[in-house]
Amino acid sequence: MSAALWLCIRLPQLAQQALAAIPEHSANIEDAAARRTAIERAAMERLAAWAYQWSSLLSYRLADEPLLWLEFGASRALFGGHAALLAKIEAGLTQLGYSHACALAPSPAGAALLTLVEQERCVSTRSQLRARLQMLPLSLLALPQEVLAALHSAGLRRIGQVLALPAAAIARRFGPDSNLYLRRLCGAASDPRPAWRIPAIYRARCEFGSEVRDTTALLFPLRRLLLEFQGYLRGRDCAVLRFTLQFEHYRHPASSVTIGMSAPARDAAQFLLLARERLQELLLPAPVSALCLQALEFTAASVVQTDFFGSDAQQLQQLQLLLDRLQARLGDAQVLRVQTEADHRPERAWRLITRQQPAAATDTAAPARPCTLLHNPRRIEPPALLLSGPERIESGWWDGADASRDYYVAGAEDGARLWVFQDLAEGAWYLQGLWS
Amino acid sequence: MSTALTLEQLARLCRDAEGSRGARPPAAPSGFPELDASLPGGGWPIGAVAELMSDAIGIGELSLLVPVLSRLARAGRYIAWIAPPYLPYAPGLAQRGLPLERVLLIRTRSLQESLWAAEQALRCPAIGAVLGWPAYIVDRNVRRLQLAAEAGGSLGILYRPPEAARESSPAALRLRLHAAPDGLAVEIQKCRGGVAGRTLRIGVAPTVAA
Repeated sequence: MSAALWLCIRLPQLAQQALAAIPEHSANIEDAAARRTAIERAAMERLAAWAYQWSSLLSYRLADEPLLWLEFGASRALFGGHAALLAKIEAGLTQLGYSHACALAPSPAGAALLTLVEQERCVSTRSQLRARLQMLPLSLLALPQEVLAALHSAGLRRIGQVLALPAAAIARRFGPDSNLYLRRLCGAASDPRPAWRIPAIYRARCEFGSEVRDTTALLFPLRRLLLEFQGYLRGRDCAVLRFTLQFEHYRHPASSVTIGMSAPARDAAQFLLLARERLQELLLPAPVSALCLQALEFTAASVVQTDFFGSDAQQLQQLQLLLDRLQARLGDAQVLRVQTEADHRPERAWRLITRQQPAAATDTAAPARPCTLLHNPRRIEPPALLLSGPERIESGWWDGADASRDYYVAGAEDGARLWVFQDLAEGAWYLQGLWS
Repeated sequence: MSTALTLEQLARLCRDAEGSRGARPPAAPSGFPELDASLPGGGWPIGAVAELMSDAIGIGELSLLVPVLSRLARAGRYIAWIAPPYLPYAPGLAQRGLPLERVLLIRTRSLQESLWAAEQALRCPAIGAVLGWPAYIVDRNVRRLQLAAEAGGSLGILYRPPEAARESSPAALRLRLHAAPDGLAVEIQKCRGGVAGRTLRIGVAPTVAA
């Protein structure tokens, strides 16, 4: 006997709520039905990936009202644990923007039935389930309409009355399927379900009913996509360094942006912050008809910075968040570090490096240097006041950028101290730095 | 005789009450004892914005800051340079003791981006100080940066043109910098919780090769 419990989530308005905007026009009925199913399937796939963080055994069914089942194993022995989990899941569904009804029972069919009742939707044992079903109207049973009508005309009104009938009589009168359903409902017969398999790469698509013209209007569907993505990452116990957002347009090739992190991450709030910066800068070539989120590479969650909380680690994480934001808005090449280089030529004695490049050891052996350098030496008149120097710098003949210069500290009229040199080859004077 | 307080009396009472609570603003020593002695808390205000209005570029306006930047960096915090008009020269900064691995250089394309980046950086607890050179800035911008610095516990430094000294500003500290033969003349134009109006002579780092 299995102690497994099934959580069933009924999503009565999945198709409507999966669309971030209401369709402007509906095509013919057949097309509309096919489209509805496609939208529901896409939404259900995303929801299953999201729900994988709570249970690794789940399945769904796209019926009139789509159903998603999560199996909770015997490990969660305490019913209190289930209640807390259920509250978390319901809060998550609300956050995602889906109307839902959840129920918990020792059988999938039982849980599905209990999503239809107003209260007392959670039972943990088979006897509790049977007792709970006893007084419920038989119209809640997922049996064919004619079977329900026949039971009704036989004078039966409550599920308890149906369950009291001999199994052989039901099988004979209403067919073996009805008998099997009732046995499964009570948990008396096994009810194997096609287990949903978590995909190895993540690709979620969110279609809009009408075109979205404003990037800020994308934030709601984006938030939902990112929350679902977070669930997927938690479920797989992994993290990402980058993911791609693709914007589909009618009659125009899709545009996309890749959001990169400096450290593996799986926090939806962090993703949203970064995506937001990017969206503000993004100029979309056409209105958006659908939004896709794709991630191909994953890293182990053990290296996720958010998982430990030493003060240094926390500080590093804060810094990475800042730098990721800056890069998302300003561009990757705009966030830099500086380092010294072993070269006598002042303009080559330093270098800009990106965040990811490892920094070389600092070289401070040269004579005193100013804190401020011009981007390029600027030709000047010979200075009137030389305060110190010269310092001769000759080098670079081997790489063609040879320099032969005498450096001085010069005084300017406004009191500034300038770092100047005379090019010994041409005799001209240049300003290269400031003693700021 | 009226028992009502005048506004002035009320303001003084509030100030006194603040003082008696011992709520001294946190500060980081500047590395120049004569300056520390004139600043409340004994140094640069932490969690606040300071404006430096320099007569010219190249009179030691950056050397004045390098000791506090180095101190913050050695304490493990980062120094963000937002769109400086000239390159922060790594060899010179390293010679003055600034750990380069704590220096971040943020390039921007507009004043708006610079202000945004400065605000983000000031809010980040990993950042010790943010240096900005806004071409034009209004009180509202300074106030935003001030709030960001408070939130992040960081020091915001704004280099502003000398003309800015004619206007008022919500910055906690405003210093005018003039060239002086032996270094720098620092005029305290505004100092929240301290005394303004004094001018100090400060010998900034030597400029001449030994």
